Amino acid sequence: MADFPDPSAPSPPKSSRNSLHSFPRSSSASSVTGTPLAINTNSNILRFRPKPSPSPEILAPQPRRHLLESNASQSWLHTPPLSPASSRGISPTSTRGFSPHLHSNGQQSFRSIMDHGVSKLTSVKETSSPETGAGRRWIRWSHKRGMRASLITVVFLTCVLVKMCVGLGSYSGENTPPMYGDYEAQRHWMEITLHLPTTRWYTYDLQYWGLDYPPLTAYVSWVCGAVARSINPAWVALDSSRGIETATSKVFMRLSVVAFDSLVYVPALLFFSRIWLAKRSKRTQDLAFLLLMFQPALSLIDFGHFQYNSIMLGLTVMALNCFATGRDSLGAVLFVLSLGFKQMALYYAPAVGSYLLAKCVMLGPKAGGRLFVHLGVATIATFTILFLPWLPPFSSSPFALLDPLSRIFPFARGLFEDKVANFWCASNVVVKWNKWASQGILVQGAAALTLLGFLPTVVIVGKSAWDLNTWFLRPSSSTSPAENDSDQKQQDPEPSTLPLLPLLLYSLLTSSMSFFLFSFQVHEKTILLPLMPLMLLFSGSTPDSDIFAWGALGSNVAVFSMWPLLKKDGLSLPYFVSILLWNRLTGHNPFKLIRTVLPYTSLVHLLSTCVYSAIFVLHVLEPFVKAPARYPDLFPVLNVLVSTPVFMCIWLWSIKSCIQVSWAITGPSGSGFSVGDHQIQHRDRAMSVMSDASDLPSSSSTSVARQLRDDGTRASSLGYAQMKKKRRTSTHSVSGMSSAVPAPPSSSFLSRSNGSIAVTGHS
Amino acid sequence: MVVGGEGVCRPHSGNVSDHAPASLLTTVITSSFSLIYPLCASTCNMKSETDSSTESSTSRLDPSSWDILVLSTIIKILLFPAYRSTDFEVHRNWLAITHSLPISQWYYDSGVGPHDSPNFTCHSHKPVALDYPPFFAYFEKILSVPASFIDPSIVDLNNLNYNSWSVIVYQRSTVIITELLLGAVLLKFIRSAVDPSTQRIISASLFLHPGFLIIDHIHFQYNGFLFGILLWSILMARNGRKLASGILFAILLNFKHIYMYLAPAYFIYLLRSFCLSPSGNFEIKNFLSLANAVIAVFVLSLAPFALMGQMQQLISRLFPFTRGLNHAYWAPNAWALITAADRVLLKCLDYLLRFLRQLRCLYVGAQNSGKEVPINLAGVASTSRGLVGDTVFAVLPNVKPLHTFTITIALQSIVLIKLWFQPTYKSFLTALTLCGYSSYLFGWHVHEKAVLLILVPLSLLAAERHAYFRTFVIATVAGIFSLFPLLFTPAESVIEVVYSLVWFTLIYLPLSKRVYEYPKSLPYVILDVLEKFYLGGFILLQLFVAIFPLGISWYSRRKGLEQAVDERMEFLPLMMTSVYCAIGMVWGFLRLIFIYLHEDTSYQGQLSTIQ
Repeated sequence: MADFPDPSAPSPPKSSRNSLHSFPRSSSASSVTGTPLAINTNSNILRFRPKPSPSPEILAPQPRRHLLESNASQSWLHTPPLSPASSRGISPTSTRGFSPHLHSNGQQSFRSIMDHGVSKLTSVKETSSPETGAGRRWIRWSHKRGMRASLITVVFLTCVLVKMCVGLGSYSGENTPPMYGDYEAQRHWMEITLHLPTTRWYTYDLQYWGLDYPPLTAYVSWVCGAVARSINPAWVALDSSRGIETATSKVFMRLSVVAFDSLVYVPALLFFSRIWLAKRSKRTQDLAFLLLMFQPALSLIDFGHFQYNSIMLGLTVMALNCFATGRDSLGAVLFVLSLGFKQMALYYAPAVGSYLLAKCVMLGPKAGGRLFVHLGVATIATFTILFLPWLPPFSSSPFALLDPLSRIFPFARGLFEDKVANFWCASNVVVKWNKWASQGILVQGAAALTLLGFLPTVVIVGKSAWDLNTWFLRPSSSTSPAENDSDQKQQDPEPSTLPLLPLLLYSLLTSSMSFFLFSFQVHEKTILLPLMPLMLLFSGSTPDSDIFAWGALGSNVAVFSMWPLLKKDGLSLPYFVSILLWNRLTGHNPFKLIRTVLPYTSLVHLLSTCVYSAIFVLHVLEPFVKAPARYPDLFPVLNVLVSTPVFMCIWLWSIKSCIQVSWAITGPSGSGFSVGDHQIQHRDRAMSVMSDASDLPSSSSTSVARQLRDDGTRASSLGYAQMKKKRRTSTHSVSGMSSAVPAPPSSSFLSRSNGSIAVTGHS
Repeated sequence: MVVGGEGVCRPHSGNVSDHAPASLLTTVITSSFSLIYPLCASTCNMKSETDSSTESSTSRLDPSSWDILVLSTIIKILLFPAYRSTDFEVHRNWLAITHSLPISQWYYDSGVGPHDSPNFTCHSHKPVALDYPPFFAYFEKILSVPASFIDPSIVDLNNLNYNSWSVIVYQRSTVIITELLLGAVLLKFIRSAVDPSTQRIISASLFLHPGFLIIDHIHFQYNGFLFGILLWSILMARNGRKLASGILFAILLNFKHIYMYLAPAYFIYLLRSFCLSPSGNFEIKNFLSLANAVIAVFVLSLAPFALMGQMQQLISRLFPFTRGLNHAYWAPNAWALITAADRVLLKCLDYLLRFLRQLRCLYVGAQNSGKEVPINLAGVASTSRGLVGDTVFAVLPNVKPLHTFTITIALQSIVLIKLWFQPTYKSFLTALTLCGYSSYLFGWHVHEKAVLLILVPLSLLAAERHAYFRTFVIATVAGIFSLFPLLFTPAESVIEVVYSLVWFTLIYLPLSKRVYEYPKSLPYVILDVLEKFYLGGFILLQLFVAIFPLGISWYSRRKGLEQAVDERMEFLPLMMTSVYCAIGMVWGFLRLIFIYLHEDTSYQGQLSTIQ
């Protein structure tokens, strides 16, 4: 799967990392930009430092470059200064080194000059307040103390602890006798699946929480029910156990969620951080895992409110991991399982479907056709197995399948339930939809809008695939340059799987968000679905990137949008506390955002400030101001009105990012790329584009600079694993500046594409 | 590294301002400081105020400390709805008593005259009077003021077993807030430590100690606050301010008298190092100031009750001697081992007698008169009743309170003699731990919660060297494990186990790397392996404890038995926990006393540098 850093790796990077600790906290990039540091890397000095004073203590002279030079080079590359909160700080082998050469050529873009002015204004503030999250500090501490190996376990156990603590509170429908709530629904399903034959699962006493999820939910309920029966049969006795709420049965139910979460969702996240962020440092991977684990929305719903969403999400993430490693059929199977657990996974279907189809298109008629057949067979087979008990040989009547299907897709309910932060509910304040149009028209309208909502991403994925298709057909005809990189091809078994990959998460976000916003019969909890790809994107981002800002905003607003629900469940304490915990871990501080009103650096900042202020005001007002009798739902409606615009913006932003990523993948059409390096370039770009697509410049000249950065700076300074891989091809330079510059792809590419930038001489 | 000198005599107000940004802390600290400041200001003024400005630059709480504070507070807040023991209601009742009754009736049940049952029974319909010393009563009085504003029914005397959300949130948050004193003191420990990075881990471990989580935040008590005072006193001792240390300990004694376990070590230490000069001359000035200060503290505490002539009543409330040798669940001490041995012997004798009788039937025939082994029938009954109340041995001779005192004092005096001749800080700390340890192991009616008296000072020694560390690990694991039965509700049991596991991993890994030493010789290797096996056994024990009830219920369902198996077997996991932990506790004691008496003087740990 992923290539982990080998502990037996050659020593240079290690010793350099040790030496880093001698630099106290001023790990801000702009002050220590990259020239080789003449420091004593003997770690003994550091370990037995007698009494480090809390204030920064300089052990080695910090070389400081000329202000103009350092800033200009960064602006030229349009590299945000290596995040001040970067877990690793600056490595002496970091390859900012080649930038002076660029600069010495005297070529400065207009952008760089402008940025220079801006950065001079803002740089002081950036260095003075490093925004580091508690999660990053925790991981840094663990890595320094040699607790790498146990870190994942500790994070996992801590997360279990927090989830169990959240689970101490009440759940949906506790002590509300006639019908109870979601908790009772899940428990009731254990009871009916355990005691009834499959044919009656979807028909038994539908008035009392009839089963309305696909078969995999039923199977999981059966497993839980069987375990429950072996412990205490009274918990799942047919009919007589309705509304049972003993302390031990509650613990059993809570533990069942934790168990499935640990079996499905946690491994999926772990693999995600290892596979999708394979090119990033170990610390970044661990941080991504940590942030994903402590996501408050899911833990509040699954462990507070009580549901098993983590199974569905976990299966989807697992499917994504399979796509990322090129196991498309297995991925398709996992995604169908996810669909088979909850039909809500359909929100992802346009994205996943378009990705897989696009890949078939991209691979061309022969390989693509084979892949298509494989996918088709896998999908149909999985569905068949899932629904086997309701299919003819096993069921009495051929129409038995209609029972589950009609339960799973109920069209008879209203346009929306309660107050949900989507388009329909928000616009309902102004336009009373139910009075305007009949149910049928509304259903059609919702379907049409949803279709419009996810159409852009489908089109973009399709178009990128088409462009790449023409690209990939070409190298097969011309063979000569491709042989140069044969060794790299061997490392990467199927390089062609990756080009479309960075689109996938954005595309998932667009499609699920459009479903959430526009589709029919949406529930507040459904925000978990769009939130998942957003969090996956967020997990790998640096704190100063756009994705970070959008992700943090999205997550906080998503939890806020469920506030009425959680309040009803009696989970207000866990609600506040887990939001606090997550923001502490990420280092995102809404209050600070509000306080630093000006200058707004971006739209996200402005939006976040407004939204956080509104949320804050609403929460402060709610206990003290009673809603007027005429508008009893005043606060839920205000909640919707605050949340919906944010979700709309995220949806638009995801479409924008999709477009940008597709540009990054397919490249500016008609430019003079030679074919030989494509696969390597694609692979490199594909992974790095993921994390910060929104920074992508659109002109072709800056995309050259971008390419430089992707191949060199970022990858080698962050990706220890990649550095190891690339060292094979690079020549070790005496100057120490460029020892990790991956030579062949970028330099050859540069020398060919833009002759005025003389980089090649360096390595 | 002059640590003692650095923090010696800064005015207290300087210390307080260090925490100014953490405004939450200040309220707690200033109130406590205002008590002590006039008393020890005199000694402080003797020395200089030169270095009061040195630490002002470090006044900000650094981000990682904030992280720990936030994370722990989050978990504690999430535990609000958790199981509460009857102590919760007892404390609420004390709020009501101190708020609504005049001070003269605080120590009388339901405010009417003397009483005769010191064991408070939680389900009684009478309010139960205080059984903590006066400072704690004053403390409750202070807490009851905001409570009366938040919800007047909290302090309603007749509102027994009141458990609305307001009282839960209020009482639980007072525990969290008063525990900040512990956090502040632990931070001070880091500031002037010999090895701040190690001390940081130890401080964090103490602040996040599972013992506090289990006893304070779930079970409900105010130990975090009280141990804050104890550690403060120890900190003063480390910084060379012995007078302040003594005063703080006197104050602590008047908060909760269980700290008397530690008093002998304090007495000897202060007498030797403060009232006598190193050469042995009597420092009359120091002695008088200490004596006066301590007496002043006690007067402040007890005078109102002495004036009202209630001392007799007060003492009978504080020291109820009508309880048994063991608590309901055996605290894992020496008596638990002996009681268990008694049970085992009884079984053996039972089999032996049966066997003898058979023999007699075979060979002697009809003769049935003979010598029976004397078995105490009350003891046999005591076994079948399980673990309730007074323990009467069936085979072994019964233990009287006098015996327990004799053994405890004998063991303590060994330690104290060593302390007398070596009155350094490290020696004091070890002696303090050992005093608490011997009281815990051999005391009369020890409660398992008292194990914190050992674990807290022992933690400060943990990183000294590997021998200490291993002792720390064994005692901590056994001690914390022995607290698990305190919470018998299933959800909380899971939480406490997971929390302790995470905590232990986060403490063990970084510390063990720092202090690791190779075993010196073969016996040490064998011991090392045995200890590791013992520690590994806790995993099996936990599995057994978790699975046993399930197995029992499954078995009884199988056999159609209802109650029979349950009643006999209910106590087996508790007994096994108690005995297994007791082995570790006793072994830890032996280790520590051995280390203390045979300390390798060539080895100088970090704490050895402090005089």
